[in-house]
Amino acid sequence: MEIRLEKFSKSFGPVKVIEDMDLTIGDCEMIALLGPSGCGKTTTLYAVCGIHKVTSGRIWFGDKDVTALPPQKKNVGVVFQSFALYPHLTIYENIAFPLRIRKESNADIKKKVDEVAGVLHMETLLDRRPGQLSGGQQQRVALARALVRKPDVLLMDEPLANLDAGLRLEMRSEIRRIQRETGCTSILVTHDQVEAMSMCDRIALMNDGKIQQIGSPNDMYHRPENRFIAGFIGSPPISFADGKVEDGSFVTPGLRFELPDRIKKASVAAGQNITVGVRPEYLQPDFATPIEGEVTFIESQGREVLYDITLAGGQVFRSIQTGEQVCKFGDRIRWGIDVNSAFFFDEKGDRI
Amino acid sequence: MERIRSYLPLWFMLPASVAVALFFLIPVFMTFVFSFTTMSSDTGILGSRYVVSDDTIRTLKGSGMDAALLEKLGSRIFTFDEAGLAALRKSNLKPAVVKEIAEKLSGKVYTSEKKLFNALKRLNNRPRSFKDRKSVSRSIVQTLKNREFKTAEEFRAGLASIGVEVAEDVFENLLDAANMSWKWTTSNYSELMASDFTGKILANTAFYVFFTLFFNVGFALLLALATFYMPSGQSKFFRAVWLIPRVSPSVIYIMLWRWLSFDNGFMSYVLGFFGVEPENWLNEYPWTFVIFANGFVGASMGMIIFASAVVAIPSDVLHAAEVDGAYKWQQIRRIILPLMAWPILFITTYQTLSLMTSFEYILLLTDGGPGFFTTEVWALNAYHTALSNYFGNLRYGFGATLAVMLVGVGIAMSLLYLRLFDFKKLVAEPQIEN
Repeated sequence: MEIRLEKFSKSFGPVKVIEDMDLTIGDCEMIALLGPSGCGKTTTLYAVCGIHKVTSGRIWFGDKDVTALPPQKKNVGVVFQSFALYPHLTIYENIAFPLRIRKESNADIKKKVDEVAGVLHMETLLDRRPGQLSGGQQQRVALARALVRKPDVLLMDEPLANLDAGLRLEMRSEIRRIQRETGCTSILVTHDQVEAMSMCDRIALMNDGKIQQIGSPNDMYHRPENRFIAGFIGSPPISFADGKVEDGSFVTPGLRFELPDRIKKASVAAGQNITVGVRPEYLQPDFATPIEGEVTFIESQGREVLYDITLAGGQVFRSIQTGEQVCKFGDRIRWGIDVNSAFFFDEKGDRI
Repeated sequence: MERIRSYLPLWFMLPASVAVALFFLIPVFMTFVFSFTTMSSDTGILGSRYVVSDDTIRTLKGSGMDAALLEKLGSRIFTFDEAGLAALRKSNLKPAVVKEIAEKLSGKVYTSEKKLFNALKRLNNRPRSFKDRKSVSRSIVQTLKNREFKTAEEFRAGLASIGVEVAEDVFENLLDAANMSWKWTTSNYSELMASDFTGKILANTAFYVFFTLFFNVGFALLLALATFYMPSGQSKFFRAVWLIPRVSPSVIYIMLWRWLSFDNGFMSYVLGFFGVEPENWLNEYPWTFVIFANGFVGASMGMIIFASAVVAIPSDVLHAAEVDGAYKWQQIRRIILPLMAWPILFITTYQTLSLMTSFEYILLLTDGGPGFFTTEVWALNAYHTALSNYFGNLRYGFGATLAVMLVGVGIAMSLLYLRLFDFKKLVAEPQIEN
C-alpha cells in the first residue's frame, strides 16, 4: 500500500517540529527516515500511525485519507524503540493482543500467532514473559506483534537501538528479510546511517523538520545535494575545507588545485567562497592532485587505517587506506586527492 | 567484598526501638494479657482490694449466709473508744461537750445512730444542734461497708472494729466475697462467643469494611484514571480537591456531614425544592453516611498511590495498545489494571486493616447509633466496652478481648490477601519494566 504525506505539518504548542513535508512511499517499499536526534523523524512516524494528531496537511494510505483516523482504526504495525511489550502477558498473548482486541476466534488467533512465530523463529518462547527474554528476543516479539495483524503499514522507531552490536547486525538482515517476505510498506526511523543504508530501498534524510534529500543509499552517498547530507552520510565522515576560487582553481592556505571542468562550467565566479568536501577514500598516497601536510592522528582499524592530515593552514583532511600503516604520527607526507570525486559547495551549502 | 559489621547502627535504632516497644509491642502484649483478666473500673488494674458493698451482701445472702451476721456487716456502730474520743477532740465541738462525753460515755457502744443521739440528749452539755450531733456521730462511727482494705489482715481488723468475730471458715467465705481485685479468667472469650451482640457487631463490621473498601478503592481508581486522561492542569486541581477531606480535621469534617444531613440541613434544604419532606437523613440512612464519610477520606490516599502508578506505566506501552486497536476502556481493562495489581493489593490490604481498626468517624458521626448497635462496629464496640461506657463499668478485660480478636482477624485478612494476589510472584519479578 502506498503512503503519501502532503504538506504535512506538526506543531507542539508554539513549537513547529515539521513544516510542509511531502513524502511518497511506494507499495512494498521500505524507506528510512534518517536524521540527527530532534529532527522530527519520530514525530513523523507517530503522526503516520495516528498517535499524534496532524496539525495540517493530509496523510493517505493508498487512496484513503487517514489524516484524522485514530490509531485504533488504522491497521498499522508499530515497533517501538523500547519494544513496549506488555509485561504482564505471555509472549503468546503479547503477539495475540491485536487479534484479541479484534475479537477473532481462538483458533484463528492460534493459527496466526503460530505462523508469525514460525517466520521469526520464536516458537519456543511463547510461554514466557517479556522479562524473561533477551533484548533480541524482545525485539522479535515486538516485530511479531506488529506483523501478526497483516498491517497496511509497518512502522519501526529505532528498532535496533537497544540491541548490542552483534545482534544489531543480525536483526538488520532479519528485518529486511521479513519485510521482503511480507511485502509490507515500511518506514524505519533511525539515526544510524549504516542501518538506513543497509536496510532500506530509499532514504529520506531529515534535518530541522525538513526532508533534505530523498534517494537511494547510493545516490545519497555519491550525489549529496548539500553540505549537510555529505557530512551526515559516510563513516568515517567527509572532510571539508573552506576556500576561494582564483583563476579556475580552488585556493585555501596550504592547498591549491585546479577545479575540475564540470565545476568550471557551472559558472563559479572568481573570488567566490566555496567549500571542498573530500571523502577519506579519495585521499590516497598515489592520487593525482597533490596535498601536503602533517599526520596528526592515526587510528588502526585492522583492515583499514585512518589518518588525519593537517595542512599548513590548519584544515584537517582524512584518509582511509587498506593494508598496513604506511607512516608514523608527526610525519610530513605528500599524498594526492581525486579531484573529480570531490564535492564542491557554494556559500549556501548547495552542491555545485 | 566483606561487609563491615558493626553494632553502631543498633544504637541509632535504639530510640525507634524504644518507641516501637513502648507504643506498640508492649500495648499489644498487654492487651493480650488483659484479655485474660476480669479487670474493670470496679476492680481497678492494681493489686488486691477487699470491699464489702451492697452487692457483696446481696450475693452472700443468696449463698445462704447467716442473716444476723449480714445485718451486722451492713450496719454502723458508734464506739466511744480512744480513737473515737481523739477524733472528737479534733472536731469543732465545744470543749465542755467533749469533756462530758469523755467522762460519761467513754467505752459505750451504740448499734444505731438513733440510740447514740438519745444518749447524747441525756447529757448536761449536750450538743444542741442536729449538725453537732451529726458531727459526733461522724467522728466515732465505725463501718465495714464500702471501706477498702488492702490485705486480708486489714479486713479482719475491719471486721473486729464493728464487733464481728467469726469462725475461720466463715471468714474465708467473707474474704472471698469481698475480694474486689481482678482475677485471671478465660470467661471473656466464652462470654464473647455466647453473647447475642457478637453476631450483630460482626455483621456490622463486615458490612462497613466491605462497602467502604469497595467505595474507597473503586473511587480512588476512578479518580486516578480520570485525572490521568485529563489535561495536566485540571488533573492537578482535581487531585488537590480530593485531598481536602484528608487534610481537614476529623471533627470539622464530620460536623459538615452532620450539618449536611440534618432535617434543617443542606440536603433537606436542597431536596425541599423537589418537594421532598425534610428529614434527619443521618438517622434514616446511617450506613450510607458512614460509608460515604469514610470512603471519601480513604479515597484520597488510594488516588495518590494509583495516580503515581498509572503515570509509571511507560507511555510507549499505552501507545502500543492504541495502535494494536485498544480503545481507552480496553487499555484500562487489559493493560493498566493488570499492571497496577501490586498498588491495588497494597491499598486494599492497607485499607482493610485500617478500616477494621478505625472508628473515629463513626464515633463522631453516629456513635454506633441511631438506636441500639445500628452502626456499632467491632473497634467502636471495644472502645465503648473498655473506655467509654455510660451505663456500667468500664470492662477493660472484656474490651481487651475484643481488641485481641480484631488483631487476629487483621492478621488472617492480610495472609488471605497475600495469597489471593500471589504476593511472592509480584515481588519476585520487575513489574513495569522490559
